[in-house]
Amino acid sequence: MRALLERKGVLAAAIAAGGALVAVLSRWPSPGASGSLLLSLLFLIAVAEGCIAAAAAGEMVNARWVGSVRKELLSVVPLLLLAAFLLLLTIPFLDAYPWARHPGKWLRKDFFIGRNALFLLLAYATAMRFAASPPGAEEAKRRASWYLLVFVASQSLTAFDLVMSLEYPWISALLGGFFFVESLFAGFAASALFYLLVQGRPATAPEPGSRSDLSDLSVLMFGFSLMWAGLFFAQFLTIWYGNIPEEVGFIARRVSSSPLRELSVAALLLLFFIPFLVLLPTRAKSHPLAVSLAAVSVLSGVAIERYVFLAPAVRIFLPGLAIQLVCVLLLFAAAAHRNPGRS
Amino acid sequence: MPGKMVYKDKDAFLEGLRTAVRDGVPPDRIRTITPFDVPEAERILSRGRSKVRFFALLGAASGTAAGFAFTILTSLSWPLIVGGKPIVSIPPFIIIAFALTILFGALSTFAGFLLLAGLPSPRAIRSDEDHGNRFVILVEEEEPR
Amino acid sequence: MNRGEGGMETPDRYAKAERDILAAMGKPGKAWLAGAGFAAVLMLIGGVLWAYQIREGLGVAGYTHPVNWAVYITNFVFWVGIAHSGTLISAVLFLFRAKFRTSFNRAAEAMTVFALMVAGLFPIVHLGRSWVFYYLLPYPNQRQLWVNFRSPLIWDVFAVGTYFTVSLVFFYVGMIPDFAVAQRWKEGIRKKVYKVLSLGWKGTDRQWRHYAMLYLFLAAFATPLVASVHSVVSWDFAMSILPGWHTTIFAPYFVAGAIFSGTAMVITLVIPLRKALNLQEYVTDDHFESIAKIMLFTSLIVTYSYIVEFGLAWYGENPFETEAFRYRIAGNFRYLAWAMIFCNSLVPLTLFVRKLRRNMAYLLIVSLLVNVGMWLERFVIIVTSLAHDYDPYVWGTYSPTFVEVGISLGSFGMFFLLYLLFVKNLPVLSITEIKEHL
Repeated sequence: MRALLERKGVLAAAIAAGGALVAVLSRWPSPGASGSLLLSLLFLIAVAEGCIAAAAAGEMVNARWVGSVRKELLSVVPLLLLAAFLLLLTIPFLDAYPWARHPGKWLRKDFFIGRNALFLLLAYATAMRFAASPPGAEEAKRRASWYLLVFVASQSLTAFDLVMSLEYPWISALLGGFFFVESLFAGFAASALFYLLVQGRPATAPEPGSRSDLSDLSVLMFGFSLMWAGLFFAQFLTIWYGNIPEEVGFIARRVSSSPLRELSVAALLLLFFIPFLVLLPTRAKSHPLAVSLAAVSVLSGVAIERYVFLAPAVRIFLPGLAIQLVCVLLLFAAAAHRNPGRS
Repeated sequence: MPGKMVYKDKDAFLEGLRTAVRDGVPPDRIRTITPFDVPEAERILSRGRSKVRFFALLGAASGTAAGFAFTILTSLSWPLIVGGKPIVSIPPFIIIAFALTILFGALSTFAGFLLLAGLPSPRAIRSDEDHGNRFVILVEEEEPR
Repeated sequence: MNRGEGGMETPDRYAKAERDILAAMGKPGKAWLAGAGFAAVLMLIGGVLWAYQIREGLGVAGYTHPVNWAVYITNFVFWVGIAHSGTLISAVLFLFRAKFRTSFNRAAEAMTVFALMVAGLFPIVHLGRSWVFYYLLPYPNQRQLWVNFRSPLIWDVFAVGTYFTVSLVFFYVGMIPDFAVAQRWKEGIRKKVYKVLSLGWKGTDRQWRHYAMLYLFLAAFATPLVASVHSVVSWDFAMSILPGWHTTIFAPYFVAGAIFSGTAMVITLVIPLRKALNLQEYVTDDHFESIAKIMLFTSLIVTYSYIVEFGLAWYGENPFETEAFRYRIAGNFRYLAWAMIFCNSLVPLTLFVRKLRRNMAYLLIVSLLVNVGMWLERFVIIVTSLAHDYDPYVWGTYSPTFVEVGISLGSFGMFFLLYLLFVKNLPVLSITEIKEHL
């Protein structure tokens, strides 16, 4: 498998095949096919950009753990091209946006698709440049900071355009920040998983009190679970306390009926309580099982949360969504698996 | 071999410590005095992790509990609706509970440290014994059986 | 001159570090006396004006309907913000194992404690009847009335109170081993005081082991606390439904702004401190460059928040929101708003240039501008939103009176006086940590 993936062009072919499959599914003659496309696109953008952002952030602060997963994290860069392609597939779907019939200066189809595609491509270009630079060099740091600037802009646009404008005129100024922090959170979770996949189980139990790359990643995940909770709470509390009808409606639609109510609670559990409690004991921070549990919890939390965001506004074709998500995950695994370059 | 060994620098001190342990001095009879924290020495002496962490956990947990109990019970004792918010409004109470979690956690950790480290120690405050910037290894007498 | 038992036998570099750092605690020079005298006079003027305000009532402040929160609340938010970098530098950088924290942590922790002491006064200054401030505290009373825990002002009491207590503990704990060093170099009553403050610290393995764990936990507790405190302060505004105040982004935006202004204040204080006390060997240009990077980073977050706030006010097409932001940038206070954008968003961008980051004079100027800009930011947010809300019939404007100006200057006097006293009485750098890294 690995040998096959190492061959030139195989990964590109896999991505193309995956993209074709997702594209076909988005044309499936079933209501909600394009809704599921939007959701898997959002998940793909969050995790792929997050992985690269994790590597870039680690590069910026000379984090030691970056060394062991940098290659894997940066091998997901081509997936950003796939994301740009999938974004173009959503064009026929834009009529589902409430503003589509009364386009304004900012919310109009051509500009909408244009700027989002542009920033995905910019993210791809800056990520490629970053990936090409030797680790640790001053040059790499400068390129990492460029990527991070584009990353913030791209994630904010994703939040404000692709998600928030579905509920126009509902507004939350924090949503952009919330998205890029969550994406980075997912990036760290993916880093931990990549680390475990590549390095395997550590041969000896780590000495108590010593630090390993895995425990550094766990600390980051633990910290980000708290930060995520803080941002979630800041957003929720402002809306709850202000109690303005046009704001509260967003939350009310998501917590007043089953199964969305349960899914909202699940997202909260998966993104905060599970990683926080699992990684609380020091020993768990370097325990492969605990870390992978937390990481999987975070990644599935991101997917479920995206579902909660979209579901009241868009119809979603669940079987199609399941296949698309599996497809995206397989592409991540393939991209990361391609680089066995260590002894 | 009870006694006192004094070193001028850290590496010689660590070497001395390793030799002592290799020579069969039980680590729990070895005391060291250093001008700053030397984590390597702890590893040589294979000391367990400090129990201060239990104080932190206990303090934090009691802070959370106290925060919720305090806000909820006082609100219920005079149930007055203010600003259209429910009597027991969990979101604002989380803020109080969070603050008390940190407050109790930090204070209890500090108290736990004082207790475990034997501070403040009036005897040490009065004594003039001082090792300056030197690294000292003290081997205590074997207790008579 | 080392009076410790055979102190000079130990490697010279340890004793030298002790001597260099403790030299700051010698007899005060003329510059120090002049500075402290000036600060004390400012503080005294502020105190007299406050007494005047208490006697005459809040009418002597410039409050007019509808602007009933102004300079005092601005000062409160400003000083709480200044307090933030102390914990950031001490706790967060400790958790990230950034070595350059050693150069700044003590100064920053002291700054946190003093800034919180100053900040805590302003809600009381702002009260019409300052002497009943204890109504804010939840204490069992005769009528069994408890405070309203749903009020953001009560959250402030808990958040700032906790922050002050935890910062004080953190500040003190960091100094325990240093007091044990300081007493060795002093004589007479000062020796006794430092000995008592050191609690009888000897540096045994048992003490260090528990100490390391304590420090780690205090850092771990302080880190989320620091984010929560300024979030709570921001919620004083965001919980209302005033256009320009009611925004979900306020909490992270205020936290970033607080760290931004706090790092600026650290730079403002430590550059002269380093020069006056000849500490170039311990606080290097590299260290300043690292902290300038933090300042640049938080400036970018603040700029992002400006863009998002203005952008979304336009995007939402809500007439009140749009008007609030139009007024902020083009209304009566437009010059202040432009100055705020210039100081907070544009000037720090120059720090992308490595040469400028390493130029101390330039860094000092930038940090002063950032301090001004962040004070203006709070003022602009508070006053423009109040002056210009939903109903044009109650629109108004505001300008501060000499009482407000005097009390504000007095707060700076108090802060700098406390800081100068700290420099002369406590070790300005963490001696123990510096020895560890030597």
